[in-house]
Amino acid sequence: MSDSSQILVFDRSQVRRQRDRAARGFAAHRPLFDESGEALAERLRDVKRAFGTALDLGAHTGGMASRLTTHGVPFVVAADMSIGMARQASALAVVADEEGLPFAAESFDLIVSNLSLHWVNDLPGALAQIRQSLRPGGLFLAALLGGATLYELRDCLMEAEINVTGGVSPRLAPTIELQTASRLLLRAGFHLPVADQERVIMEYADTKSLLLDLRGMGETNAHAQRPKHFTRRRILRGAARLYEARYSGGEGGIKATFDMLFLHGWKNDRPQQGAISSGTHN
Amino acid sequence: MTEPITRRIDPKLLAILVCPLTKAPLRYDAEKQELISDKAGLAFPIREGIPIMLIEEARRVER
Repeated sequence: MSDSSQILVFDRSQVRRQRDRAARGFAAHRPLFDESGEALAERLRDVKRAFGTALDLGAHTGGMASRLTTHGVPFVVAADMSIGMARQASALAVVADEEGLPFAAESFDLIVSNLSLHWVNDLPGALAQIRQSLRPGGLFLAALLGGATLYELRDCLMEAEINVTGGVSPRLAPTIELQTASRLLLRAGFHLPVADQERVIMEYADTKSLLLDLRGMGETNAHAQRPKHFTRRRILRGAARLYEARYSGGEGGIKATFDMLFLHGWKNDRPQQGAISSGTHN
Repeated sequence: MTEPITRRIDPKLLAILVCPLTKAPLRYDAEKQELISDKAGLAFPIREGIPIMLIEEARRVER
């Protein structure tokens, strides 16, 4: 992901539609979010300070917001692009886009984002806005998908498409590498930035179950240049055959890799020099 | 179908919301259930007590 590019990689309206569609049945597709959510909560428990106001950014149905309330934060806002998702949150809900945050400067002591920021086109811009919304001394904590996430599916879809059509079109979202995420965190002016990665392997009965789960999570392709026609059956069938032959799981099923990048950074107590100006929307 | 009693927007939430485009303060129209950004000329709807702070969902208003 290039951080200076003006090209829109993701169709944000499509991200929103996918989340709207996934909203009703999301509870059945939460394991990955619960996994990273628990990891975020664990990291939070290691932080020796109390937070008065927090934002769950890209909240989906507000799972992380609930964890923040359990953690003892008295004022928690859950923001998601999809009203279908946001209305299920038990916290105060707002429908908002990470690319245009509707929060005043220095509104929160803590901003947490659980598996949402990998759909943002302008991650440096989003990080700058996040930092601006934090109070001095505030903490930003996020998990996002990156690295080799879904490399098996990518590999099989690409090969199956070449076999059928002789060419390749973008079918899966481009992913961000840990080093890039780490650099962006620093460039956005976060203090004591830390980025690390955890790999989660999920097992599915077959390729169809994996694709249904991705759809249920609202994580299917929102690539702006994705093919507008439906993926041809032959390609999918071919990809499924390759997948099941190459990446079999433990008990006759298949495995799928998810690399979770964890970002952690503070906003300095005192004004900082060299931080990127965040007033890019004026 | 009867209209449910409008869920009031939380005042503490209202206090921290700004226009996503200009970051300027918003004017709350309780009757229309809208948050108005005079600077951007946009009115953001509030549905079921949830502010919809998306530019593509906002209504254009006279500046």
